[in-house]
Amino acid sequence: MSDRLVQILEGNTFVVSDDRGDIEARADEPTGLFSFDTRFLSTWVLTVNGERLTALSTDDLQYFQTRFFLVPGTGSVYVNATMTVIRQREVADGFHEQVRVLNHSAEPADATIRIDAASDFADLFEVKDALRKRGTYARDVTGGGLVLRYRRDSYVRETWICSSAPAAIDERGLEFTVTIPPHGEWTTELDVLATEAGQHSLAGGRLAHADMARGLEKWLDKAPHLRCEWEPLEQIYRRCLTDLAALRFSTLTMPGRSLPAAGLPWFMTIFGRDSIFTSLQALPFVPELAATTLRALAERQGTRTDDFRDEDPGRILHEMRYGELTAFEERPHSPYYGTADATPLFVVLLDEYERWTGDTKLVRDLEPAARAALAWIDQYADLQGNGYVSYQRRNPETGLENQCWKDSWDSISYSRGDLPGFPRATCELQGYAYDAKVRAARLARLVWRDESAARQLEKEAASLKRRFNKDFWVADGEYFAVALDADGSQVDSLTSNIGHLLWSGIVEVSKARAVARHLTGLRLYSGWGVRTLADGEARYNPIGYHTGAVWPFDNSIIAWGLRRYGFKQEAAAVAAGILEAAEVFAGRLPEAFGGYPRSLTRYPVQYPTACSPQAWSTGAPLLLLRTALGLEPHDDHLLIDPALPKRIGHLELLDVPGRWKRIDAFGRGLIDTDRFTER
Amino acid sequence: MHAGKEPVSSFFARLAEAGHVPTFERNSATLRFDVSGDDGNGHPRERWYVTVTDGDVTVSHKNGPADAVVRIGRRHLGALVTGRLNATAAYLRGLLTCEGSMAAVIMFQRCLPGPPGSTGRIAPISSAAVTAERRAAG
Repeated sequence: MSDRLVQILEGNTFVVSDDRGDIEARADEPTGLFSFDTRFLSTWVLTVNGERLTALSTDDLQYFQTRFFLVPGTGSVYVNATMTVIRQREVADGFHEQVRVLNHSAEPADATIRIDAASDFADLFEVKDALRKRGTYARDVTGGGLVLRYRRDSYVRETWICSSAPAAIDERGLEFTVTIPPHGEWTTELDVLATEAGQHSLAGGRLAHADMARGLEKWLDKAPHLRCEWEPLEQIYRRCLTDLAALRFSTLTMPGRSLPAAGLPWFMTIFGRDSIFTSLQALPFVPELAATTLRALAERQGTRTDDFRDEDPGRILHEMRYGELTAFEERPHSPYYGTADATPLFVVLLDEYERWTGDTKLVRDLEPAARAALAWIDQYADLQGNGYVSYQRRNPETGLENQCWKDSWDSISYSRGDLPGFPRATCELQGYAYDAKVRAARLARLVWRDESAARQLEKEAASLKRRFNKDFWVADGEYFAVALDADGSQVDSLTSNIGHLLWSGIVEVSKARAVARHLTGLRLYSGWGVRTLADGEARYNPIGYHTGAVWPFDNSIIAWGLRRYGFKQEAAAVAAGILEAAEVFAGRLPEAFGGYPRSLTRYPVQYPTACSPQAWSTGAPLLLLRTALGLEPHDDHLLIDPALPKRIGHLELLDVPGRWKRIDAFGRGLIDTDRFTER
Repeated sequence: MHAGKEPVSSFFARLAEAGHVPTFERNSATLRFDVSGDDGNGHPRERWYVTVTDGDVTVSHKNGPADAVVRIGRRHLGALVTGRLNATAAYLRGLLTCEGSMAAVIMFQRCLPGPPGSTGRIAPISSAAVTAERRAAG
């Protein structure tokens, strides 16, 4: 048996196979060739003389390229094999696969080499939920190859398979009958193309593979260079940049530019929240991601009232999908707008992007979009009429219940464990809205030349801050409630959300010390990071997704918030814990890991999840580097104010891009974080 | 047509009359809609030519080159302009095809109405109802 799954991708096309390179997907099994949220191959099996192969080794050459070394036979039969099979596969708009069969004997070898191919054309959503198909299938043997086709009304998807070496093609696959000379080899190049109705591919032009490899080198070279006395940090940094390259995704409207998709492989699409947060995290390193994210989200900004899609005028999208269920409006992802944070965060990113890059042209181009986003906050997000952003889905069947980053069903609870009704106004949403207003005021004054709008926004922000510090403050616990419920009462559990409030700047200075103390206190801080929900709350569970697990992304925002209020030691402790966890995970942080006390497990326990790398986990070390070095744009300069954990030692970040062109940042680890992380 | 006598003509007439679409501001593009028979096949029977200049809009029947050419059947276009069909869904289903600038098409869909019957309102749900529903779900 071959259990290990191998995945390679480019854009939103990806292949998940076993370690022999074979695909044998059952309806509910996430293996195959996928493109634009549709499975284009569910069977792809190579046999030699009727025998399956066994993997000797698998090399992940690049994120878009893998090589499989195989021998015919299974079990112990292959020990005396006289043949080797090498499959090398590269993803483009489908994939390209070279199959080489090497004959190691002194005699010519007769071989029947066969590829079986089939597709169920499942929508990704169908794979997750094991739904049944409504359309019909066809297979065509054409001049040069095999075409697999699915049709439902006018919706047509096709998989084209062809070979460079002559093949006997039947409806089930391609067969090669060959004689391989002594110590010789036989080769064929197979192309599998995922298309719409015989047209050119959905993704547009095919990329040359050599360009992809060169592109990655250029990408790494363009980013700031990091040197560090603590060597694991260099490895973590390189891993993050490489994974970020793999997570790049181009939209149909901007084919030459890329934005970060949310996660690999199941979330290779635009997510408002994830794309914005990842762009924020990566700003000091690859600022162009933010520009593309902002443009793509503005293009798709809501303009009408659509209850099925939870769309309102000015709202920024949550998730975009391209599969069959979306096409037939059985799912609302064309796009779906059910998120309450992406809209204010869009404005936050626009301002932060300008502060780093000085790109006022984008700020001018997106002025209508930013103003529409601000109008959404006031006119459409205030569901309770109490001046706070809240959410409630209008699509109860396929819409999202929790439209904040903690989007699982039990993520928002009272201290005693029961769940609030709807609408819900979670606290971090108010912080984002406050920050959006403050930042938009700056842009209005600086770029839009609208002083009266700037004053109005500042007035609204000040009023929101005042009311928030009164209404959300849990006085006896000295922290902010996670939400206000449908009655406007406090949902009183202690959560990591309070760290986001520091980042947004909505916390009154007199309350900040107490918030920082909670974030690094025993109930929230595990020694690796800040838990999503505090130990002691009724629903606390160290492996609860949003009810106790530690999220690297969450922690990176929290560290940023701690620095904003001057808590250098606490910020360094959060950075130290997460970076040390990253070392354990060989540079690639999972989406979340267990909230067990550090002394209990010694290693962080990964939360089981199918998605890795996850974009905002990939961005977390980058943002932690920024906060630890204290990088802050100020007019045309970059301020550097290092507060590094001791363990890091000497750190150099060279050629940080921005409106100052390029600047080097240096720091030395001086902060002893042991008193936080040793618990 | 149950959604008004001439949904396509009256939609473009309203667009021409307005002369400006705020959500088109900062965008300029030309689009040509080649509208064929109800089934979407065959030669175009009518054309709509839309120019957008920083939000300002003109509409004509000109048959000229455009940044984006959209081909669609009259019945589907009628559904689009009355909010009964989503433009992205229509594209994914092959009910409309685009040639040229996708960005222009994405811009244009911003002026299409939402589905009839969408009110933007929903009744609040109590904490007790949420808890009961979760208990029922196990």
